[in-house]
Amino acid sequence: MKCKVCEKKTENKYCELHEKAYRNIVREYDIWKKTSDVSWNQYLSELVKNPYTGVWAKEVAESLISEIV
Amino acid sequence: MHLERKREKFSKMEKYTLIITEKPDAAKRIAKALDYEEKPEEVKEDGVPYFLAHRDRKLVVVPALGHLYTVVHERGRRNYYPVFNFKWAPRYSAERRAKQTRTWIEVFSRLASNADNFIAACDYDLEGSLIGYCLLKYACDNKENIAKIMKFSTLTKNELEKAYEEPLPHLDFALIEAGRTRHEVDWLYGVNLSRALTLAANRWSGRYATLSTGRVQGPTLKFLVEREKEIQSFVPTPYWTITAEVEIKGSTYEVEYETKTFEKKADADAVMEACRGKIGDVETIEVKKLRQMPPIPFDLGKLQTEAYSLFRYTPRRTSNIAQRLYLEALISYPRTSSQKLPPTIDYRAILKELSKKTIYKNLASDLLGKDELKPVEGKKEDPAHPAIYPTGNLPERELSEPEKRVWDLVVRRFMAVFGEPAIKQSIRACIVVNGHRFYLRGRRVLKEGWTRFYKPYIRAEEVLLPDIKEEEKVSMKQIMREDKFTKPPPRFNPSSLLQKMEEEGIGTKATRADIIETLYSRGYVAEERIVVTDLGFDIADVLGRYCPRVTSVKFTRELEEKMEKIQTNNEDRVNVLVEAVDQLKPVLQELKEREQTIGQVLSQAVKRARVQERTIGNCPHCKTGKLMILYSRKTRKRFIGCTNYFKGICTTSFPLPQKGTAKPAQKNCQACEWPLVFVRLKGRRPWMLCFNPNCPLKEGRRKRDEMQSLREEN
Repeated sequence: MKCKVCEKKTENKYCELHEKAYRNIVREYDIWKKTSDVSWNQYLSELVKNPYTGVWAKEVAESLISEIV
Repeated sequence: MHLERKREKFSKMEKYTLIITEKPDAAKRIAKALDYEEKPEEVKEDGVPYFLAHRDRKLVVVPALGHLYTVVHERGRRNYYPVFNFKWAPRYSAERRAKQTRTWIEVFSRLASNADNFIAACDYDLEGSLIGYCLLKYACDNKENIAKIMKFSTLTKNELEKAYEEPLPHLDFALIEAGRTRHEVDWLYGVNLSRALTLAANRWSGRYATLSTGRVQGPTLKFLVEREKEIQSFVPTPYWTITAEVEIKGSTYEVEYETKTFEKKADADAVMEACRGKIGDVETIEVKKLRQMPPIPFDLGKLQTEAYSLFRYTPRRTSNIAQRLYLEALISYPRTSSQKLPPTIDYRAILKELSKKTIYKNLASDLLGKDELKPVEGKKEDPAHPAIYPTGNLPERELSEPEKRVWDLVVRRFMAVFGEPAIKQSIRACIVVNGHRFYLRGRRVLKEGWTRFYKPYIRAEEVLLPDIKEEEKVSMKQIMREDKFTKPPPRFNPSSLLQKMEEEGIGTKATRADIIETLYSRGYVAEERIVVTDLGFDIADVLGRYCPRVTSVKFTRELEEKMEKIQTNNEDRVNVLVEAVDQLKPVLQELKEREQTIGQVLSQAVKRARVQERTIGNCPHCKTGKLMILYSRKTRKRFIGCTNYFKGICTTSFPLPQKGTAKPAQKNCQACEWPLVFVRLKGRRPWMLCFNPNCPLKEGRRKRDEMQSLREEN
């Protein structure tokens, strides 16, 4: 299996590094929902735009957006 | 024949004392200090300088060039591992770039043959002791047991004379054993692990690339990789703050809300709504006096940190500047971990000398007027040297700007440690607006104390408040909500990384800065705010996966502690070496068994790094390709071309200078935004090249040239 983002060989959907970013995205959504009441899609778009979002987190967010589309 | 004649010449000379120093500058200064007339004769033999001085007897002061001997593989080829058999040998036999050490050692041997007394006057630390020991043992034919030591912390005349008159009776063998062990353990780790990585990559790809790691380099890279992972996978979360301004007696002041952050935007909005345009009351005014104690004296780490924060000098640069100042006898020995200044250095004498310089005159006089001078000191001690302090000597030449800065910093810090505590006043007025509390904060200096001496390097500013009283009315002029996001942890810079290494207890004060530079030169990290490259990630990944013990901070620290114990005779060199080999054996076995997999990962990483090194940026024409530095197969000439050329989509290309080196500058042109190329040519100042033929900057220059030629024609 290949990582959805970087195409590195992996046993899961994402490689180890992108998996870490994915887990962060899922975990932090709870806080975003509580504070700003945004939908999952809006949340992902915000992450892609935000200058503080890490590169891997942005890549995972972009990949998740493209899956939805 | 030539050598024979020289030996004859030396044997005819009267017997003398041979004084061994670490570097030529130190030799010159020692010879000058010890010569009765302060005019030693400089002699050059095959390009090696040494000095003849006369005191109670004839002295020959001869310098080394740092380490002239090193650990080498006892026998065998270079391209295999594991290797555990080593010996100490001249550097020229192991390193191509160390050819000159051969003549140096030959001169040492010649001079030693006619000496009847030997003194080691190298730096009194691990490295210096080892340099002196190796020369006495190998170049001077086993004189290590009869040699004495000149121990000093500054290269001033007084201290050098005292060190000569009262030498230590024998070498510090415990220190030497510790130094030898450190070099040998580092060699065992460095050679074996680096060969394992390099050979794995070479055998898989058939192409050579040097990949290295080491006992301290591995864990240091691990810190950086862990931080990089946190930054790259960071997901920010929103929060809100409130800032407000109040008007008091016609002036505006910023106040802060009692709750620093809001988790919900609505809560922040509610506070704004409640306070906007309202009048508040000053509920309480709290005034506190704070005593700020003077700073502690500099050890090397603290000096490096301070110089980075004030001047942005890398730790290695600061260490080199400090070493130069030491060799000029302006400051004491800088490679110290002591934060203590013993009274024996004679504080008053130093201050008296410093007061001869106009800018320090008043400051030094103030301190000299005190009945007792007692420095504030830190906890750390170093048995060999005190903390860094100025010798009191004034520069004999015009110092360069960086040298001036570091010297001034050392001088002012020295004076500051004798200063009185600074007394500061902090005021906090609590203003209540419609039930919400805001704080107005001010601070001012009541007594300068030590800060007077350290003034140029103190950044805190005073915030003066108006004369307000409790129950006074204050109007809310402006209230704003700020939308903010949490930020990722900061990147390490060379200074904070050095501090981290120090905190974790890995490496030594002498090696930490060099290890950081090695990470840069190997291409594992880049930029001042350190970014780990893909190659760095892959190296750390391989080490972490197949030999986690090698990158374990705990394991590295334990080994460091054992090596330190050798210094105090509480641990045995052989035990430490045996343990290091026992730890390495299974690691190397594992690496060998997985050589193919590791080789594939590393080869690909090297390939990617090489492509990255040549990639300049996006193609401005086709927008999808990348511009790279390429070489023509026909002419072997270098140019910039688009990667889409190979797909038949884009033929964009630009010429490049054929001489010197050219690499991506990682910056864009200010005028046209095209990526720049950094060109370095021997004998010329490096420059940034914008290869856009229509760049407005070039247009402007072309027009200026045309106007110039027109004027000349007229």
